[in-house]
Amino acid sequence: MHIIQTNQLTKVFKGNVRAVDSIDFEVDDGEIFGFLGPNGAGKTTTIKMLNTLISPTSGSAFVTGFDIAKNPAEVRKNIGYVSQDVGVDEHATGRENLTLYGHFYRLDGRTIKQRVKELFEMVDLTDYADKLASTYSGGMRKRLDIAMGLIHRPRIIFLDEPTTGLDPQTRLHIWDYIRELARKMGITIFLTTHYMDEADKLADRIAIIDHGRIMTIDTPDALKRSIGGDVVTLSPRESGESERAAFMERTRSILSNKDFVVDMQQTDGNLSIFVESGETAAPAIMNSLASEGIQVQTLSFSRPSLDDVFLKYTGRTMREEEGTRTTFVQMQRRRNRR
Amino acid sequence: MDTLSDIWFQTLRHVRTQVRMKVFIIINLFQPILWLALFTQVFKSLSELPEMEVSYLQFFAPGVVVMTVLFGSAWAGMGMLQDIDMGILSKMLATPVSRLSVVTSRVLASMLLLIVQALLIFILAIIMGVDVATGAAGVLFAIVIVSLLGLGFAAFSNGLALLFQRPEPLMGVVNFFTLPLMFLSSTMMPNSLLPDWLDTVRQFNPVDYAVVGVRDLVLEGWIWDDLWRSLLVLAAWAAVGVTFGTMMFRRYSE
Repeated sequence: MHIIQTNQLTKVFKGNVRAVDSIDFEVDDGEIFGFLGPNGAGKTTTIKMLNTLISPTSGSAFVTGFDIAKNPAEVRKNIGYVSQDVGVDEHATGRENLTLYGHFYRLDGRTIKQRVKELFEMVDLTDYADKLASTYSGGMRKRLDIAMGLIHRPRIIFLDEPTTGLDPQTRLHIWDYIRELARKMGITIFLTTHYMDEADKLADRIAIIDHGRIMTIDTPDALKRSIGGDVVTLSPRESGESERAAFMERTRSILSNKDFVVDMQQTDGNLSIFVESGETAAPAIMNSLASEGIQVQTLSFSRPSLDDVFLKYTGRTMREEEGTRTTFVQMQRRRNRR
Repeated sequence: MDTLSDIWFQTLRHVRTQVRMKVFIIINLFQPILWLALFTQVFKSLSELPEMEVSYLQFFAPGVVVMTVLFGSAWAGMGMLQDIDMGILSKMLATPVSRLSVVTSRVLASMLLLIVQALLIFILAIIMGVDVATGAAGVLFAIVIVSLLGLGFAAFSNGLALLFQRPEPLMGVVNFFTLPLMFLSSTMMPNSLLPDWLDTVRQFNPVDYAVVGVRDLVLEGWIWDDLWRSLLVLAAWAAVGVTFGTMMFRRYSE
């Protein structure tokens, strides 16, 4: 059974910005579904529609069997939402935060008490339950935030970048909780993330979204297989901007008619070439470039990672994305440039 | 039932938040004392004017009650802003929580605190020697009057918070309006000392209706003509504020 099903789901904002453009996808009951995309690709807009926080411009979506537009009240009963912001009340204790959400979900006092106890144990906050949330570290707040989305035992929980800004060790902890939720409690998880390793390790299936459209959906392994055998990465010797641009252009034109080249993408001043086999392609690339007098600083090749998959479908790396997690103005500018 | 329970638990949350901010409590308690002490000194010589039939303290105490309610309620939207900014509001709206309860509980919590403040100022004023003509019943009536004023402003302020979703414009608007609203009324000066144009303008100012009503109760007695007018105008003002707040909440939550 599909716990989420969208049909031509679309959101158009003021100024005719098509944030989400006729997307169709399904999420299966019990899976961890990774939702990846650059900033401004439409991830959060999609999540907000599925959580009934904003209504779609056109198209429809069913979440836990209910229409998000026609029956938002039923949807809300069955979902948990953990946004990018830490939606925790700092002036209240952990227990007060959780208890309030118990009331919002119409649980009776006894059930709330019981679940609050269980959840604090699960997220290792029992000792801090009665401390003000303002005294919590970032990781503790996120754990409380996740617990608040679980008090009513939802069938699906939306985690919007749950580990952004957390230290590596805390991230590992949160990953454990996420796995436990899915495997032990059978809760479906809809996860967006900026970290490729996170998606790779956790997600059963991954959708990549860009410019409001779903570019591809598959398991992480299938996605990696789909982009061919290996990725060869070249960096030019010259460091000047115009020299680099010339290098990219000439190299691309030389390699574009080689039949062992599947695809090429430019990033961070490097050129990534998707090939069937790195072992045979690397010397061939070197030879054809050398014969044209093009100088290469470094050449490396590797099995494709999810980063390469992301690069192929969005033309950007996740690292570039992180560096530009910035203002709306910059996002707009970037969008206009395209 | 669900809506009532949501209102109850959220009101509890907001009151708790305010009570925990100890600095806030201290400031809120001392500010009215400061107004009373300071202004009665600054305007001391007014007491000697023939237009002023009572001591300035006696005259000004009702004004301090109204001022405190005005300032307190006009800033009520700041809490909502914080909820928006921290992602608390959107997280909450993804739950089955009653939509109506969100703004209602905020306004209710603001009013509860303002009522406590207004009562404390009355007690303080009485200790300082102010004589309330209508006695305890009059104080309660005065509380009803200022509650309506506070309801309107608190709801309006929450509406502005939902409209702007940023602190700067809210602070700008509140700063721009509160002081003029106070001075364009008979809060600090008896009507007979106001210039004609101001005496006309104040009739469009809800703050003035609260001041007139409360001052009647303290200085004169049960002057029902004034009191009814105050109640009606302030009820209308409260309705305007609540309508605006509700509209802005709808707009925010689509």
